[in-house]
Amino acid sequence: MGIQVQFRKEAAELLSSGAVKLVIGYGEGSTPERRRPVFVRTPAETERLVLDGACVANLSTYLISEGLLSDGKNVAVFLKPDGIRSINILAAEAQLNPEQVVIFGFDIENGEARPLAGRKASDFTQVVEAAKAAGLSPELQKEAERLDHISAAERFEYWKEQFSKCIKCYACRQVCPMCYCRRCIVDVNQPQWINTSSHTLGNFEWNIVRAFHLAGRCVACGGCDRSCPVNIPLRLINHRMAKEVLDAFDYYAGESTDQKPVLATFRQDDPETFIL
Amino acid sequence: MSEPFEPKIVAFVCTYCTYAGADLAGTSRMKYASNVRIVRLPCTGRISPMFILKALQKGADGVLVSGCHPGDCHFAQGNYHARRRWTVFRALLAFTGIPEQRIRFSWISAAEGAKFAELINSLTEDIRKLGPFEQYHELQTVIETQSTY
Amino acid sequence: MAKIGVFVCHCGENIASMVDTANLVAAISEHPGVEICTEYKYFCSDPGQETVKRAVREHNLTGVVVAACSPRMHEQTFRKACAEAGLNPYMLELANIREQCSWVHTDKDEATAKAIEITRSLVEKVKRNNELQPISVPVTRRAMVIGGGIAGIQAALDIASAGREVVLVEREPSIGGHMSQISETFPTLDCSQCILTPRMVEAVQHPNITVMTYSEVESVDGYIGNFTVKVRRKARYVRMETCTGCGDCIQKCPVKKIPSEFECGLGNRTAIYTPFAQAVPNVPVIDRSRCTYFKNGKCAICKKTCQIDSIDFDQQDTIESIEVGAIVVATGFQVQDTSLYGEYGYGRYKDVITGLHFERLASASGPTAGKIKRPSDGKEPETVVFIQCAGSRDAAKGVKYCSKICCMYTAKHAMLYAHKVHHGTTKIFYMDIRAAGKGYDEFTRRAIEEDQAGYVRGRVSKVFEQNGKLIVRGVDMLLGRPVEVEADMVVLATAMVPQPDAKEFAKKIGIGYDEYGFFNEAHLKLRPVETATAGIYLAGACQSPKDIPDSVAQASAAAAKILGLFSREHLEREPVVALVSDSTCAGCWGCVTACPYNAIDRRDITDRNGNVIKRVASVNPGLCQGCGTCVSFCRSNSIDLAGFTEKQIFAEVMAL
Repeated sequence: MGIQVQFRKEAAELLSSGAVKLVIGYGEGSTPERRRPVFVRTPAETERLVLDGACVANLSTYLISEGLLSDGKNVAVFLKPDGIRSINILAAEAQLNPEQVVIFGFDIENGEARPLAGRKASDFTQVVEAAKAAGLSPELQKEAERLDHISAAERFEYWKEQFSKCIKCYACRQVCPMCYCRRCIVDVNQPQWINTSSHTLGNFEWNIVRAFHLAGRCVACGGCDRSCPVNIPLRLINHRMAKEVLDAFDYYAGESTDQKPVLATFRQDDPETFIL
Repeated sequence: MSEPFEPKIVAFVCTYCTYAGADLAGTSRMKYASNVRIVRLPCTGRISPMFILKALQKGADGVLVSGCHPGDCHFAQGNYHARRRWTVFRALLAFTGIPEQRIRFSWISAAEGAKFAELINSLTEDIRKLGPFEQYHELQTVIETQSTY
Repeated sequence: MAKIGVFVCHCGENIASMVDTANLVAAISEHPGVEICTEYKYFCSDPGQETVKRAVREHNLTGVVVAACSPRMHEQTFRKACAEAGLNPYMLELANIREQCSWVHTDKDEATAKAIEITRSLVEKVKRNNELQPISVPVTRRAMVIGGGIAGIQAALDIASAGREVVLVEREPSIGGHMSQISETFPTLDCSQCILTPRMVEAVQHPNITVMTYSEVESVDGYIGNFTVKVRRKARYVRMETCTGCGDCIQKCPVKKIPSEFECGLGNRTAIYTPFAQAVPNVPVIDRSRCTYFKNGKCAICKKTCQIDSIDFDQQDTIESIEVGAIVVATGFQVQDTSLYGEYGYGRYKDVITGLHFERLASASGPTAGKIKRPSDGKEPETVVFIQCAGSRDAAKGVKYCSKICCMYTAKHAMLYAHKVHHGTTKIFYMDIRAAGKGYDEFTRRAIEEDQAGYVRGRVSKVFEQNGKLIVRGVDMLLGRPVEVEADMVVLATAMVPQPDAKEFAKKIGIGYDEYGFFNEAHLKLRPVETATAGIYLAGACQSPKDIPDSVAQASAAAAKILGLFSREHLEREPVVALVSDSTCAGCWGCVTACPYNAIDRRDITDRNGNVIKRVASVNPGLCQGCGTCVSFCRSNSIDLAGFTEKQIFAEVMAL
């Protein structure tokens, strides 16, 4: 039995038994290679669920919709390892109760979706450990190193060009499961830390602050990158942050549901090579 | 250029250690470059990365962030939290092309007036060599011209 | 509309000689919102302050900037002046144009330009200052002392004698702590029991002290002035109210062969017992795990023996909730387990003992009635070897720190031994003799000169048994050669370590601890008896290794701090505290984790039917110390710090 058939069947069972009120999965998209999220509430609708190598979006972001989980009922969601890590972070940051989230875990290997065993976030500890052991994306690291090796002025020009394209549509924020704040810092106007009009200075500030807020929280799902209408390589800057917290503090985002935030904790022997 | 470039440096310091250290430099009549402007905060833990960005926007060519040595924080842990933030934020700024030499961090205790004076002098000299941070300040000019539309 | 008054001080020549004050006044007068800007020779003087006050009244100023010296110098002075003129004292800022400007620069134009910028930026800040009111916290004027050793007893007595109530909690059946186990005390050699027991009795009889023995702290809630402590009173199975301490039950108890904890296993106790003869209170407890009645329901001889029916096998643990305003933690230390030094043979050879064992052997009330007899055969040892730093100052196997007391007690042991066994020989292997303290070096010299303590500088590599002797093999560093000593008994000066449950306990009551488990003081040098948690103080060896005088001094210091706190019914605190914006807080609890003072809690916001709408962070102003670590953590900018708000700092920076 293929994974798609299996997940559809199990989703239908969960819905008909009332174990979950909603299944968030993937459905057909506008083109054959695209998938879009579907929200399934009845067993019959499970026929709309698709699962294949094109299912890349991190659907955990839909769980933070205000009020979705406040009735205490369970929701099932299709998640890759990055999405499972997102659940861990959201649980650690008290944005959801992991007991309410039923996970249809899968991973994509050679373009094929493959099921992961487990139903609760805590069942996937080994999956997350394996992801940490496998390391951060080598392609992104290669690109980050390329930037590290050019001069600061050239790097500045690179990002200036990238950020000058930003139209402050906030799609990156909208798609990100970590951007659950009721009021984003960019919307604070007393005082206005970040210039909101889409000129390059404001764009610089916005993108720097967003990257800082994602340090130790980004799971590299790539949602921001894909959603950006002007193709700013947002994943790259987030990758650099993930690398920093991993190297400096051995911190890998989303390891467990009780992991403490990297910037709200410290060790007395944290490295400090740069402090005079 | 006819006149030597005088950099603008903004220092964010905690009141218990570095601010007191700067006071000590004063009471000891040590002399240092007048390029620095000090913003006093209760603790390095209060120093938000935003402050650094705003200082750059206001034309700072260099920024200094300084507080109590590890273990000496008046608030016990504020500087440890700050150190983590700085580690991450500094890497981020460097990655976006804001030179590390322009954003400096130090531990200066209330007894280290001399260290404060020396650091301000060497920092001023370093930034003077680097020249004005035009790349960043140009971003600001763009706003000002745009806003005249 | 802001009406800011700016007062430029010359500080005699101190400022005026380097800053063109007229120029400064001219520049600042132009600044928007500045109502009045004047200069004067000494604004801190009486006439100077009068000028400020008059201007506040006459111009209805909404804020004041004094451009003068450091706020660390005169902030309080001008705050007071503002308050006297009817302006909230927190509507004041000092622009530091002396220490950080006129005194450190040499070019008048540069210094003037800088002074203008400093002043302008603080004018912008003060425009956004908020009127703040000192925070008033009611104080429950009752203290709790946790730990009934000498430190705890001293703290309790000091507080109680000053007229405040104290609850003294001790987990053992008797107060007294380690000091009650000690034979004689350095550097005076007075008997420990003789100086301690009167204090114990005084504590238990003091009208202001409630002693709770055989009791443990379960939880601590609240904050300075307002703690609620839950204490578990463990079942004693003996009625405290009626027991007269006659001891008949102990005499008759058939389970007699239990190694006594108090005697470090050198003597035995019964299943119903008091830890030592002078125990306070002198009421026995039944060791449930050893009592025959509790094992199989038979025996109950104690119950039959007791003439006033004070045995109660049905007693249960009870939890008492106690309101206190301050807490002294005086939970003491333990002796490090020496089994990690396998080469010294502790545990293998009966005659290799710790310093605490030696105290019991030398104690007149101990198992040998003060005669030095070796544990294996009860013979008097002819040669005794003492090994100092058996655990201390040893990063590889023991602990990195110096246990502080061992040099002194080893010298004392050598002396006591010499006094009791006149023909005996002592050898003391040491790294250094650390004898800093009143009368301490004289004491160690006396041990060497009058009592022939044989000090050998060097470490011991091995202790092994041969022909009924303990062979101590080591090195004499001063002679540069190996030495072997044939000993009858070896005494290890073991390290002082925190109580095994110290870290757990610290978490329970909300104080910090170091890598070893010693509790952290708020500041090592300047606030050594306070913890980072306001209202909780430290005394004795739970903070770091200490001897009796140091423990007692710290206990009295903690008591003085508490009496200061208790001198008023309300505690006034600086209003520089954090405040949460309920509407925007996302409830991620990062601030809760980051706060060094456990000052942030979770609070439910409910609708009028009591349904929880959301949970937000909530700062307890009684605990918040105003560091602002939470503010810089908060991603949604939902927490702010009074006196240093985001708006204030933003304006200050944007005016530079």
